[in-house]
Formats: sequence, C-alpha cells, structure tokens
Amino acid sequence: MSVVPGLGIVKGMALTLHRFFQPKVTIKYPEVRLDVTPKFRGRLQLLYDEWGTLKCETCFQCAQACPIECIDMGGMDTRGRFHVHWGAPETYGERREESALRRSGRPVPDPAFVPFGAVDLTRMDAILESFDHDPAQMLPILEATQAAYGYLPVAALKHISQKTGAWYAMIYGTASFYSHLRFEPAEAIHQAAAVDAQRPSEVSYLTALDAALGRDAGQPGMPARA
Amino acid sequence: MTVVGKTWNRLTLPGKIVFTAIPVVLVLTAGLVATIVLLGGPILDTLAANLPIVRFVVAVTIVLLMTIPTAFLIIYMEMKIIALMNLRIGPDRVGPYGSLLSVVHGLKVLMKEDFTPTGVDSTVFTWAPVVTYLASVMTLLVIPFAPGLFGQELNLGLLYFFAIGGLSVVGLLMAGWSSYNKYSLLGGLRAAAQVVSYEIPLTLSVVGLILLAGTMNLNTIVTQQAGWFTDWYVFRQPLGVLIFFIAATAEAGRTPFDLTEADSEIVAGFATEYSGMRYGFFFFAEYVNVFVISALTVTLFFGGWNAPFPWPWPVDLSVDPGSLGIALLLLAAVVPLILTLAFAAPIWIASNRIKGWQALLGGFVLTNIFIVAVIGAWAYIGLDWVAGLVWFMLKTYVFVFIFVWMRGTLPRVRIDQLMDFAWKWLLPASLLNLFITAAAIVIFKTLRPS
Amino acid sequence: MPVSESHQSTDDPRVTLDRALGVFEPVPPYPPRTEREAEFYTLGDGQMFINMGPQHPSTHGVLRVVLKLDGEKVVDLDPVLGYLHRGVEKLCENADYHQAICYTDPLEYVSSLFNEWAPVLAFEKLMDVQVPRRAEYIRVLSSELNRIASHALFLGWMALDLGGLTPVLWSFIERDEIVDMLAALTGQRMLFNYFRIGGVNGDLNHDFMSRLGEWMSKATEQIDSGNALLNENEIFVRRMRGLGTIDTATALRMVMTGPNLRATGVPFDIRRAHPYSVFPELEFDIPTRTEGDCLARYLLRMDEIRQSLRIIDQCLHNMPDGPIMAKLPRLLRPRPGRAYAAVEGPRGQYSTYAISDGTDQPFRMRIHDPSFIHLQSVGLMMPGHLLADTMAIMASLDPIMGGVDK
Repeated sequence: MSVVPGLGIVKGMALTLHRFFQPKVTIKYPEVRLDVTPKFRGRLQLLYDEWGTLKCETCFQCAQACPIECIDMGGMDTRGRFHVHWGAPETYGERREESALRRSGRPVPDPAFVPFGAVDLTRMDAILESFDHDPAQMLPILEATQAAYGYLPVAALKHISQKTGAWYAMIYGTASFYSHLRFEPAEAIHQAAAVDAQRPSEVSYLTALDAALGRDAGQPGMPARA
Repeated sequence: MTVVGKTWNRLTLPGKIVFTAIPVVLVLTAGLVATIVLLGGPILDTLAANLPIVRFVVAVTIVLLMTIPTAFLIIYMEMKIIALMNLRIGPDRVGPYGSLLSVVHGLKVLMKEDFTPTGVDSTVFTWAPVVTYLASVMTLLVIPFAPGLFGQELNLGLLYFFAIGGLSVVGLLMAGWSSYNKYSLLGGLRAAAQVVSYEIPLTLSVVGLILLAGTMNLNTIVTQQAGWFTDWYVFRQPLGVLIFFIAATAEAGRTPFDLTEADSEIVAGFATEYSGMRYGFFFFAEYVNVFVISALTVTLFFGGWNAPFPWPWPVDLSVDPGSLGIALLLLAAVVPLILTLAFAAPIWIASNRIKGWQALLGGFVLTNIFIVAVIGAWAYIGLDWVAGLVWFMLKTYVFVFIFVWMRGTLPRVRIDQLMDFAWKWLLPASLLNLFITAAAIVIFKTLRPS
Repeated sequence: MPVSESHQSTDDPRVTLDRALGVFEPVPPYPPRTEREAEFYTLGDGQMFINMGPQHPSTHGVLRVVLKLDGEKVVDLDPVLGYLHRGVEKLCENADYHQAICYTDPLEYVSSLFNEWAPVLAFEKLMDVQVPRRAEYIRVLSSELNRIASHALFLGWMALDLGGLTPVLWSFIERDEIVDMLAALTGQRMLFNYFRIGGVNGDLNHDFMSRLGEWMSKATEQIDSGNALLNENEIFVRRMRGLGTIDTATALRMVMTGPNLRATGVPFDIRRAHPYSVFPELEFDIPTRTEGDCLARYLLRMDEIRQSLRIIDQCLHNMPDGPIMAKLPRLLRPRPGRAYAAVEGPRGQYSTYAISDGTDQPFRMRIHDPSFIHLQSVGLMMPGHLLADTMAIMASLDPIMGGVDK
C-alpha cells in the first residue's frame, strides 16, 4: 500500500482510464474470423481421394478406438452390399425398427431391409438359447446359424445383434473374417462367380475408353491399371 | 342460444374486454369532447386560477417520464464504458454503436414473466419495487435543471432531498424481507445498515455548505455560484465534496459500496427473487439514483446550471419570427433548397465516383445538421434555460461517468470495513469540515463586519 | 446430540414448516447420518443456514457449501462435493495406456498439461522409457506456459470474487494469447492431449514460435501493468490482508502443496525437491512468503509467473535438437508393477499412482489432485470470517471443481 491513502485507488483509476483509450482486443466473430492454426485437431472432416470418392472405407477402426465413444458411423460395407453401422443403437435402422414399432404401433419402412427376403427366425432362438445369448461365443453361434440356414442371412445377423446386444458391425466383422462363413447360399455364390467370369474386366473398359479418346494408357495422373 | 351469444362465447378474454371497452371509450370520449366544448371557458379559468397545482402535475409527469431515457442512457454508458475499460467493444449490434441495447433490455424485462415465488409475502413483495422507484424519482422534483426548469421550489429543498432519498431503503428492506430468501434478507439488511450509516456523514457534509449559503433552497444555492467557476462551492468546501461524494456513492449502492447486490457473495441481494419488470424497476431506481446523486453533487458544489465562465460576448438575439412577415415563408421555402445545393456541390465535385443523387442526399443531411446547429446555437445564446440545461447535463454526466469509471476499477469493500469507514472516518471528517467552516465564517465576519 | 432412531422426518419442525408453506428449502439430511452432521445441522440461537451453490455465481464450479451463519459471520461450514464426478480413474482403467491420458485432461481444465504429465510420467516409469531431451524441453516449455495461463486466470477470478469487474477480462486477454499459442503447438485450445508416453505429440512449429516470441516481448510489461490495478489498491489489500490465514504447521498437517504451502513459508517445490524432467538443468527460484494469508497467496502466484517466464526463456535458449518421441511399440504392455509420479502444477502437487497387471490397460490408476486437498482446509479458514470473505478465501486457494470431483 502506498503512503498516501487513496493513492493506489487513484493509480488504478488512471490505469483504467488509460485502457479506455487503448485499442480493443475483441474479435467481432461472425464478421471477422481468426485463422485456425494448421495444427488444429478439432476439425471434423472426411477426406476425398482424387476420384472424388470418400476415402473412408467404413472400417470402424476410428469408432472402435474412440475412448469416449462419440463416433457414430454408418455406410456400405467394403463390397457394397450391406449397410453397416457403429454407434448408439437408437440411431440406426436395424435397432430402430423394433422400438419404433413399439412406440408408434405402425410399421416403419426401412429401405435397408428391402433387398433381403424374409427368413424364418424361429430356429435362431433355439440356437441363441443353447449358447446362452453370450456375445463372447459369437463364432460358434454363427457356425450354428450357417449350419441351420446354409448361409448367414442378414435378418439372422440382425436378430443375433438384437438378442445378444453385440453391435451388428462387430458380428458382421466376425462373420466376414472367417472364410468358411458365407452371406449367400452356396449356389448363389457359384452363380455369381459364373456371371462374373463372363463379364468383361474393368481393364478392357478403360483400354477401350483410352482408345476412343485417343490418349496414351500410361499417361501420368491416370489411375494405375490392374 | 342466439347468434350474438355464440359469437360472444367464441371470443377470448382479451377480446371480450376490448369489445366491452370500445363503446365505453367512445361514450367517454364523446362526453369529454362535449364537456370541453360546453365548459371550455370555465375549465381554463379554473386551471389558470390554480396554476401552481397544474404546474406541479405537469412537472411530476415530466420528471416521471424523464427517468426512462435517463436510466436507458446510464445503462448504456455503464455497458459501453466498462466494456471499453475492459478492452472489449461492448454493445455494438442494436442501433448505432449499440446505443439502443438498453432500450431492448427494457423491452426484454417488460416481456419476461413476472414471477412471484411460493412463500413470499406477495403484497409487500409487489410494492417494494414501487417504493424504491418512487423514492428515487421523487428526489428529482427539487433538482433545478436550469433557470426556471425545476419541479418544485422548496425552501427546505435539501432537507426534502435527504428525507425522500432515505426512503429508498424502505423499499429495499421490504424486498429483502418479503422475498423468503436468505440472500435477499442479507441484501436487504445490508442495504438498511449501509444507507442508515451513510445518511449521517452525507447530511453532515453539506451542513458546512448550508452555513455558507445560508439557505437550503437549491435554486438559491445555484444562483449563489454564478459567475466564474472559482465561485463554485467546491473550492470553499473541498473536504465536504469528498465526503459527500463517497457517502453518496454508498447511498446509491454503487461500486465500491454495492454490497446490497454483491453478486459474488449474495447472488443478487434483495433482487434475487425478482423477475420481469419488478426487477427492472429496481434497476431503474438504481440508475435514476446515480443520476440524482450526480445532479445533486453538481447542484451543490459545481455550480449547477451555471456555465464555468460568464458568456464573454453578451448579445441580444431576441428575434421575433412574426416580424419577418412573408419573408419567413420565403426563408422556410428557399433556404433549405439553397443550402442543400450548396452542400451537395462540393461533394459532387470532390469525387467523380459519387453520383448526383448521393451528393444531394449528403447535402440534405448536412443541411439538416447545419440548421439544427444554427437553431441550437441561437437557443443557447438566446434562451437562458437551454444554456443552463446544457451545462447542467454536461456536468451531471461527467459525474455519472465517474461513477461508472469507479465501477470499472474498484473491488468491493467488506461490510465491517464499510461501517468502520462511515463511523470512524467519514463522520469525524464531516464534523471537522463543519467545525472549520463555522470557524472560518465567524473569523471572516469578525474581521470584516459588513 | 446423539443419533437416535426415534427421529422421524415428520417430527422435524423444519419439514413441518416447509410443508405448511409449501416451500422446500435445501434442508440437510434428516435424521443426521453421523455425529458431525448432527452437530453441524443443529442451529444455535440466532443462527441460520445458507446454502451456497452448486449454482452460485462464484463457487468456481459446482461446489456446494452449507454455511452456518450468525448474522453475517460464518460459524461452521459443510462443503458438499461430487456434483462433477465423472469417474475418471475408472475410465482410465478401462482404456489402454495411450487412451488413459486423454481422460485426465479435463480433470482441471485450466491446467490440462499437468494433468497429462503426471500419468505420462508414471507410465514412463512403469515401462522404463527414456524420453528424448528435446521432448522434455518442449514439455517444460509448454507446461510453464500453461502455468502462466492458469495463474492469470486465478488473478482475474480472485478480483472478480472481490467485486472487481475489470481484472478478470484483462487476465483473460493474457490467458487467451497463451491458450491460442498452445493451440498452435498442441492442436487444441483447452484439453491439449499433447503429452505422449515417451515424448510429445508434435514438434515446435513456426506458428507457435512466432506467437511465443511476440508474446514474450511484451509479457512482463503486460502482466505488471495489469496487476498494478490491484496490488496497490487500498480496498483490495485491506480486504485480503490477514484473511484466511493458515500457519505452516497446519498447512503441512492439511497436506497442502504448491503456492498455498509456499505462501506459509515452506519452500517446497517438487521441481526442486524431487526433480523430474530437465528441471535440474534449469535455473529458477522458489518464491515464498511467510504471511500465509490470502494476500500472500495472491502475490506469490504473481511471483511464480515471473519465474515461469524465466524458465521459458531458458528453455528457448537451451532447446536441443533431436527426436520428440522415444521408439516405442504400438501396443504398450508394461511388466506387472507399480509406479508413482508427481509433478508441480500451478495448484500444487499432481500425482498419479499406476499399477500394471501386464495387460495393455492399467490395473489401477489413482489420481491425486491438489484442489481436493486444498478444499479441505476451508473448514479451518472460514469460520470467524464474514460471508463476503468466504468466496475470497475459496478463490485464494484456487480450487477447480473438475479436479476435486474427478
């Protein structure tokens, strides 16, 4: 404290008056936006490759690693056949359908279900009962399911997901990892292979395109050809 | 049920009220018009006979209405000045430089729910803001704003001021006691203790001035300070000014003595349970108090509406517009046109990017500013009360600025330090001031008996 | 008053009164659960309770303090904690070693780097990791910046709790500059998540260095001029002097650390007492004061800011070249064992005790937080002071409720 009583107050008042005339630091946000530092990690964005498609392959590694489970994601699987999701159950179709029916009392159409035919799921209950609905025994459950149906119907996988509480994406991941499990009947796979064998390959399309446009196939900047 | 009955039942409550009120209002208006037409002369005579009453009613109405823009202006000043001292920009969205923000705040509190919590003493709770507000507004009545511009001339004006000013604590105490909330109770009791304690040094600090002036009439005190600024009482009562200012700060509950609503200690003090316009009235009262205290400081010690120096070139500008005759019409018609063109021309010449209509618009705006400035200058020189009002408001708002400035700088004192300061320092100091003043007057009169 | 079974809630006169009025005050648990509660919740003549928080303008988070008042004088108090409990320790035990660090960030959200440093240090001890020298210097540099930001915030809040509106915004200017600087270095503004086991997440970059240089050139002057507002202010000094005094013996008994302990005259600083990182190579003083009151705690933090500036200066001059991360496997599985590490944070000692059972997740992780420890001593400091001073005392201890409730 100063010797003269009140001097400190006067000094403080002088300081505030000085600041009164100094330039202000406020940034008028919507009009003026500060540059975000290049290192900034809070940005949420999905990257696109040079073909303009999303680089994300829906592998769920990020969602699985997220410690606070704040990542929800959904998309087509790598072969472009099924909708796969990761996240809170209420968010997505395969979990939503039952509770929505319960809540509204009327069927809720979900386009993701349309391509897959109806499957008799009564057999599933016995299988799940025998494994005590234990998600840790997923592989035996899936093997038993395949033994019962001949393949793994999507409806069955979703049923397993609902009953055991395991994520659909996790079940799908388990099923797709093992080569002896299949998602279509064996004859359908053979048929598809036969059709595929008759189809002209991608390389021949591209070669024809190059020829039509009159450009060199080995030109830089073009996608590598298989 | 008849058609009328059905229609009536479909109306909402406000609709029913409006439909009932319209014929009543129509009848009343017709009656009023008829009364004025038939009895106009006698009414005017009665009013003229009771001129002081009419004057008082008009003055009270004006004072009551004046508090609203005053409070808005001071709230805006508080937001903006503290923001600038904090190195912020402050309000800048509503109106030019955010100046309408306090108006918007006023509308906001009007529209908010006026909530009465369970357990409060609802009668007292409702009347508390009214008492507080009126106590601060009533003090405005005796403030002389300009020569001839005051609510009521009282011989005991100063005493009236302190008496009514002390009433505001009743409202705060009512609010604190009725709110059924311990924070409110603490705030109300703090307010009571604080205002009662500071009332004494506040009153004693001006006793010296009263001895000097020989009157408690505020108008007379102001007229005594006419002339150069060295005639102001501040130079004869420096200690008195200091004590008065500090005590007045405490009386108005402003930082650093804003313990009644110390937000970091007792949430919002007496106003904790209030919402909507009742809360708004407390804040109106606070800001009107700031204005009143500043105005009184100016009136007592800083010459009131007197300019700090006598106008050096006394001129007589008593123009009678009627004497110009038809020339007045020409003046009104032609001068704005000529001025607009005269102001637009340099703008148009200055830059070839400015279009003709833009230049004319600029010229028009400048013409308006010019005419207003000319009329203002004429009024300032020609009319006593305009000059007085300008100086009075200028000085008062300088003090309002100081109050806001203090709020931007100082932390809050503690309640025991507050009391210590009042009783151990301010009271002896004001008594000392009184003693010195009295002694000086006696010595002066003995030396130079007139 | 003994705890008896005969107390039924219907007998409670307060409850009856509340029912009659239709008002429910925050009444204490009834019947009382412990002797202490029974004693505390019995009102003497002319006393009353006042319930501060969890929603109160100045309890520094969601702390609830039940004060027993006699007039405005505090007779007794009962802090109620747990409104911000998130189970951070348990969350850490369910995450692997890398992920556990990011849970500790929001413990004390104004000094995140110290919250990271303690577990990182413990995990490094657990795995015998040698951290590169450049990484250590970057850690010291960034954490000292964080210390200044935290202290700047303290100085502002201290003034705000005493009713000063301006200092808090001035110190926020200070803090924002530092925090933006750290955002340029770490990638985040508040919850940096920057330290890694074996190093740091990113190297110094141009953006950070230019901001730091610009700030360092004016930092001392800026801090001094801002503090001139309060240091000499009679009102402020009179209110703070002799307030919440605690003597050395009591402070040691209450296990106080950091500036609150140093304000009582004990020059205990973990950076010197149990050196970690590169602090033995750096030159700095341990400021102490002997009064042990709020003013001493306030001024001491100001001195610490100057010492931190000294350390930053040395870090910038001695910054070695080299890698910023040790070579580590992707999946960390330390051998079974236990490790303890403590760092000196802006509030005191932040420490972590981690037990490994050989898996990739910590078996047990205990976090010691200074705010919690310091909050215990308010029961010794506040009684006898006025209601207005409770907040000043609380603010002078600088607790952050995120750390208290974990």
